[in-house]
Amino acid sequence: MMSFFEQHAIYVVLVIALVIWLGLAFYVNKLNGSVKELEQQIKLKD
Amino acid sequence: MKALILSLGFIIGIGWGLYPGLLKPRPLWMRIGLISVMTIMVFLALFPRIAGTPEDVALIYRMGMQKPIPVVCKIDVSKAEKQESGEWMIPIQGKEKTFFLRLTADKLNPADFGNGISLIADLQRGNTDAELRLSNIIQIDPLITLPYIVGLEERARILYFHVPMSWIAFLAYIVSMIMSIRYLRNPSPRLDIIASSSAALGTLFCILATVSGAIWAKFNWGSFWNWDPRETSIFVLLLIYGAYFVLRSAIEQEETRARLSSVYSIIGAIAAVFFIYIAPRIYGGLHPGSADDSNAGPVISQQAGTLDLLKQIILSMAFCAFTMLYFWLLNLAARIRIAGRELQSRMLHKESLS
Repeated sequence: MMSFFEQHAIYVVLVIALVIWLGLAFYVNKLNGSVKELEQQIKLKD
Repeated sequence: MKALILSLGFIIGIGWGLYPGLLKPRPLWMRIGLISVMTIMVFLALFPRIAGTPEDVALIYRMGMQKPIPVVCKIDVSKAEKQESGEWMIPIQGKEKTFFLRLTADKLNPADFGNGISLIADLQRGNTDAELRLSNIIQIDPLITLPYIVGLEERARILYFHVPMSWIAFLAYIVSMIMSIRYLRNPSPRLDIIASSSAALGTLFCILATVSGAIWAKFNWGSFWNWDPRETSIFVLLLIYGAYFVLRSAIEQEETRARLSSVYSIIGAIAAVFFIYIAPRIYGGLHPGSADDSNAGPVISQQAGTLDLLKQIILSMAFCAFTMLYFWLLNLAARIRIAGRELQSRMLHKESLS
């Protein structure tokens, strides 16, 4: 496994890039939900 | 064709961003669309192996380098000929002429392969330009490959991240300018919030493009910063937009702050056009498309062969994905600030009543 990644370093870059992107997407998606909830609470108070 | 493919990415990204409205919540299918496009783009940008043609081996040798380079070639074992020395000579087709791959029996036996197998292998020049020597097999039957660019090699992949991030910085400054013009015509705090959020995102993407470019420059040009005209112009642009945020933070009165920063944003965006598209093309420099370059750079040059079809498709997907991401982040940033402003005004109202 280790020797495979040593010989194909670009796959390590691919895995890291995908992990960073999917983590960011998950966080932004969660933030999207929180903003929606906040907006609904403001609307309800109206 | 190239202009059409790349424009398609821009148009889909902008369409995604403006539908159903800048401040409307993004439905689930749109969010899934963005995440899928970006994931596929990252995969296509980093997964395929970079492999050149047999002609590139001769070119590398003529440039004074004697290292093996990855080449994609099709091997037809039925045409292999055994030499008196015990080595095998297999004809492989280049772009324009036929080359011969010399194989020693200990490296590889042609009988191990079926007829018409394609592979990526590290090849280097043999005794003549037409003779190639195999030093290592990288992949057998590759699905897709990215072209080998002499002098760039794996570093060519930065194109799919650095260029779209720069594009987003420019787009964000233009959106900020449009919202500022709209604010001056029809003052509304929402327009000011969108304009300043867009300028903030533009600066974020500008910093990301600068940092990614600097890391790349260290490995390709030898140092992180070279004061190339484009690097200098981006540095000036960052200073201009840094001053925009200083201006905003220095004025407490909301309307004055919005009005003055709107005027500044319009001037800043005009400066951005000059610093991104005009200044780096007037002077000679290290970036592609400089005055002393042979063409206008791989993205906008109309010369044949500057960007192959697969690279055009990946770059178009990158433009589309980054544009979608920018509009989603702008949507969230503006909505959070609008909600915060609403809550603040309610608290002030409550306090004044008590």
